[in-house]
Amino acid sequence: MSLRVLDRNALPTPKQEQWKYTNLQKALGEDLLKVRPQAPEQILVHKLAGEVSSEPDMVVWKGENGIHHQPRLKILLEDKAQATVIEHHQGAGSYWKNMGTEILLGAGAQLNYIRIQNESIDAVHTDMVHIDMNRDARLNFFSLNLGGKLMRHDVHTVINGSGAQCQLNGVNLLRGSQHCDTTILMEHVAPNSVSRQFYRSILDDSAHGVFQGKVHVHKEAKKTDGYQLANTILLSQGARMNTKPELEIYADDVKCSHGTTTGALDEEPLFYLRSRGLSEAQARLLLIQAFVDEVIDKINDETQSGQIKDLAEKWLKTQLEQK
Amino acid sequence: MIKINNLHASVEIADGTKKEIIKGFNLEIKPGEVHAIMGPNGAGKSTLSYVLSGRDGYKVTSGSVDVDGIDLLALNPEERAAVGVFLAFQYPVEIPGVNMNVFLKAAVNAVRKQHGEEELDALGMLKLIKGKSRELGITDDMMSRAVNVGFSGGEKKRNEILQMAILEPKFCILDETDSGLDIDAMKVVAEGVNKLRDGERSFLVITHYQRLLDYIKPDVVHIMADGKIIKTGDAGLALELEEKGYGEFLGGEEGAV
Ligand SMILES: Nc1ncnc2c1ncn2[C@@H]1O[C@H](COP(=O)(O)OP(=O)(O)OP(=O)(O)O)[C@@H](O)[C@H]1O
Ligand SMILES: [Mg+2]
Repeated sequence: MSLRVLDRNALPTPKQEQWKYTNLQKALGEDLLKVRPQAPEQILVHKLAGEVSSEPDMVVWKGENGIHHQPRLKILLEDKAQATVIEHHQGAGSYWKNMGTEILLGAGAQLNYIRIQNESIDAVHTDMVHIDMNRDARLNFFSLNLGGKLMRHDVHTVINGSGAQCQLNGVNLLRGSQHCDTTILMEHVAPNSVSRQFYRSILDDSAHGVFQGKVHVHKEAKKTDGYQLANTILLSQGARMNTKPELEIYADDVKCSHGTTTGALDEEPLFYLRSRGLSEAQARLLLIQAFVDEVIDKINDETQSGQIKDLAEKWLKTQLEQK
Repeated sequence: MIKINNLHASVEIADGTKKEIIKGFNLEIKPGEVHAIMGPNGAGKSTLSYVLSGRDGYKVTSGSVDVDGIDLLALNPEERAAVGVFLAFQYPVEIPGVNMNVFLKAAVNAVRKQHGEEELDALGMLKLIKGKSRELGITDDMMSRAVNVGFSGGEKKRNEILQMAILEPKFCILDETDSGLDIDAMKVVAEGVNKLRDGERSFLVITHYQRLLDYIKPDVVHIMADGKIIKTGDAGLALELEEKGYGEFLGGEEGAV
């Protein structure tokens, strides 16, 4: 179970990649390609069979100007273990954080994984996440992308055990010229498993978002239940979103579907609220907050979801006050 | 109270062209009066209500609307709400994720703020919302949900009246608030409206059915067709209309549809 590491000498070229929105070589630029590589820092979160941790494990990765960071996180939950991992990404200056994450969930293991990416605005953040789920395992993964000038978040999940349930949720709040890719490959290998992908993005200025998610149902994965939803609200004319949902199904008797929407805020609810006296800015804030809160509410810990809602509210207020 | 003078308004259609819907509409409602507007489908009744409440996508090409000396058409929707204009929508919109209580509090305080008043404290707000919702038979379950989400047709209409009762506007437009209501709900809604009749507050009640007017007695009844009023009378006009249908009224007018 080796970590899939993106070495800077082995960066994919646009030709090798199926999806060509982010040219990593180009995005990193001359300066960042010369950043000093740092020996990989590693953190292991390991819970023994049946172990139920009452406190969340906190993981903080800091970024430093001029450094190529290579953090490695491994979360290993043995059978029936339960844990919550909260990961913060932050930093100052210009750096490249090239993260590798591996998650292994044993039979009946339950993981809540909250990832808050709030890098420096000059940072490049790439993150390859590999998830392996065994029988009846549960994963509730929430990801917030807020910082960084370029982000790539690749999540490759393999559901190897029947009865497993995988939830991948995320909120992307992007402005300026930020660019964020989310790429998900959800592989249902075993039968009777459930997957949910729920991503919402708010894009302002000339920010660019990409969501490409694939649900791949293998031949043996009968009675798979997979759903994928990606909604985006564009706050400006210059913002762009590309979504590419994909279903690849080789098994019979499966329930799989997807939905995507991208557009400006609906006029009708906005008018309804204004006709009751709310200012336009207040009405917009309320509606957009409700839109992202629906995803944040998937986190089953109110303290955590409350903190993330506060971050989102602060971001939204800043953006809407400029209008 | 409100004076609408020779109002012309168009909708902006997607391809950039304009279509005139309101074609020389005149109306004056005095304080405390209830006026009813009846008229065939497509006459422009809902369009009139949107133009009065300031919805985007409509262009007033001529005419004026005066509310107690204020030029209503110069104001944005929230300012009109603060002046005291309230529209009970024909089709109230669902707002997922925005809780009823959060919404009602925001609306009350937004109007108070525009009036230069202090925000209502939590206890005052609770009393206000609880009291009014009980009167209108709105359950705690409805209050715990998102605005209009999962509400039945009748519940949505009752929710409109609840907002009206809480915000206490001075000019209320009710756009087909009776449609979709069963007889009991209609009585509850009519009682809610009648309770708000205080000799000062004025109402414009848009309806297709005489039945509502049995409960909310209008002072004046207008028939609207093709963007303007073609006949005005007392409450008896609604009865006459119910009996004869629109044909007679439309046929007799010049420039009728
Ligand atoms: N946005 C729009 N684009 C094109 N036509 C419109 C638009 N809005 C309204 N209309 C047209 O204007 C006319 C008046 O519509 P309106 O909804 O005001 O009628 P109404 O009198 O309320 O009818 P009803 O009794 O069925 O509710 C209709 O012919 C309608 O199709
Ligand atoms: Mg109508």
